[in-house]
Amino acid sequence: MRHTIRFTGVGGQGVLLAGEIMAAAKIKLGGHGLKTATYTSQVRGGATVVDITLDDNEIFYPYANEGEIDFMLSVANVSYQQFKNGVKPGGIIVVEPNLVHPTEEDRQKWIIVEIPIITIAKEEVGNVITQSVVALGITNEFTGVLDPDTLRDVMLSKVPKKVHEVNNKAWALGIQYAKEAKAKIGM
Amino acid sequence: MAREVISTGNELSALGAFDAGCMFFGGYPITPSSEVMHEMSDLLPTVGGKFIQMEDEIAGISVALGASMAGTKSMTATSGPGISLKAEQIGLAFIAEVPLVIVNVMRGGPSTGLPTRVSQADIGQAQYPTHGDYASITLCAGSLEECYTQTVRGFNLAERYMTPVFVLLDETVGHMHGKAVLPDLEEVKAKNVTRKRFDGKPEDYRPYDVPMNTPAVLNPMFEGYRFHFTGLHHGPTGFPTEDAAQCQFNIERLVGKIDAVAADVGLDDEADYEEFMMEDAEVCLIAYGSISRGAKEAVSKLRADGIKAGLFRPIMIWPSPAKKLKEIGQKFDKIFVTELNMGQYLKEIERVTGRSNFTTLHKANGRPIAPLEMVAKVKEMF
Repeated sequence: MRHTIRFTGVGGQGVLLAGEIMAAAKIKLGGHGLKTATYTSQVRGGATVVDITLDDNEIFYPYANEGEIDFMLSVANVSYQQFKNGVKPGGIIVVEPNLVHPTEEDRQKWIIVEIPIITIAKEEVGNVITQSVVALGITNEFTGVLDPDTLRDVMLSKVPKKVHEVNNKAWALGIQYAKEAKAKIGM
Repeated sequence: MAREVISTGNELSALGAFDAGCMFFGGYPITPSSEVMHEMSDLLPTVGGKFIQMEDEIAGISVALGASMAGTKSMTATSGPGISLKAEQIGLAFIAEVPLVIVNVMRGGPSTGLPTRVSQADIGQAQYPTHGDYASITLCAGSLEECYTQTVRGFNLAERYMTPVFVLLDETVGHMHGKAVLPDLEEVKAKNVTRKRFDGKPEDYRPYDVPMNTPAVLNPMFEGYRFHFTGLHHGPTGFPTEDAAQCQFNIERLVGKIDAVAADVGLDDEADYEEFMMEDAEVCLIAYGSISRGAKEAVSKLRADGIKAGLFRPIMIWPSPAKKLKEIGQKFDKIFVTELNMGQYLKEIERVTGRSNFTTLHKANGRPIAPLEMVAKVKEMF
């Protein structure tokens, strides 16, 4: 079974690391995971897309096949607009509603879920950098592709010990918001 | 014991260099290759090796060449624009027969091109990176494992044939992050090649006085064996000469030590190509590097649709696996060639097969080629 997940944002938001964590967790669980990133030559502000492919079998083509993506999360409008069409009809797209503006047409085509990821990181966790960990929690709660404890452990292994607590908080908030959002749409 | 790691192609290329015995890195950062040097800057000091970031690409290869002249296994890493800048010193490495591994993580060109995007447009450059006559050894990695193994192989070939060796990665495999199973470290080390040396009397030492199709025997500098390095044509001790017969012999030997050996017995025992589902194939796809990954998926999709497809993937790009390519040209009526350039390797395939009737898919826009694009093109052949 293959799962393809796409994170989109702009350079500097940390979406690359979130992708690496998901791939590493799948590998730790005995499967295969590949992360590729496409970005522009701008240091900050350029559209960034991270494709994560998770499979029990070997993965050859490392990018998501357009139109086959199960789940996308977007924290920047420029990259949302550019990369949304990779998501399969009926797929789930989680957006940061303060920054990403889906059209009415988009809402017909996909299940669009609004979670203020950056506001949560900034105001509830207290550190905007943790937005990628909030996103990680949301993604796994929606897709259910990885064992949550393994994913969290891999995430913690990638960050310094002194920020474990704040990242644990970001992780838990991501899951909590995703659960609430799922309940709202009857998932 | 095989080692399972989670890493990127660039980091694994650095690890391969490290395990091959590389003790010197000189270079200058450039996207998408910079992580190779980042990793070397971490690895080399742990064993007393030397890492230096120089002021530019030219200085980067110059110090690496100098280290190699002193007998140290040495490397540099860059991308296409860096190779262009290094071209003059690459020529010196060819004619003076200084072993060096040059990793090129390919991005879109020409010039500064598309810095962050994938390309395979340096295939021609790797064959003839600088002026003059010589033969290039170029390896091309198509997986995370191969970023490691082909870099190791690059060092072994460089030391054995006393020549610069190109290891081509591209932005996709260089930055791809996932699982790789690396060969046992002791097995790698047991196969590591170190250049030949002359152990006779210093006054008898003639480093370049070697038979046709064999490499020079260069002892490390500063050990009492006096000889001369020059970019000029040179005689037995490396001092310049313009003797007609000597100059002709020099070039025939420089080309022959690689091309003639490759055509005769092969440069080493490693695989020069991979055949994927070729046994019963009716249509042959040809692709290399990261593009071959999409091609493998295309082969599976085509088979699911009832078309028996297979993939031929060159690993040693130069000298090309000509004998095998010729065989494929004779065996298959339908051949599909796909590359992330405007047809640089297609020219070589046409040359060795003597055919020009290929179905092709070439792109030069910095984007990967999706399996479904290949499937659609292959289906047009039926």
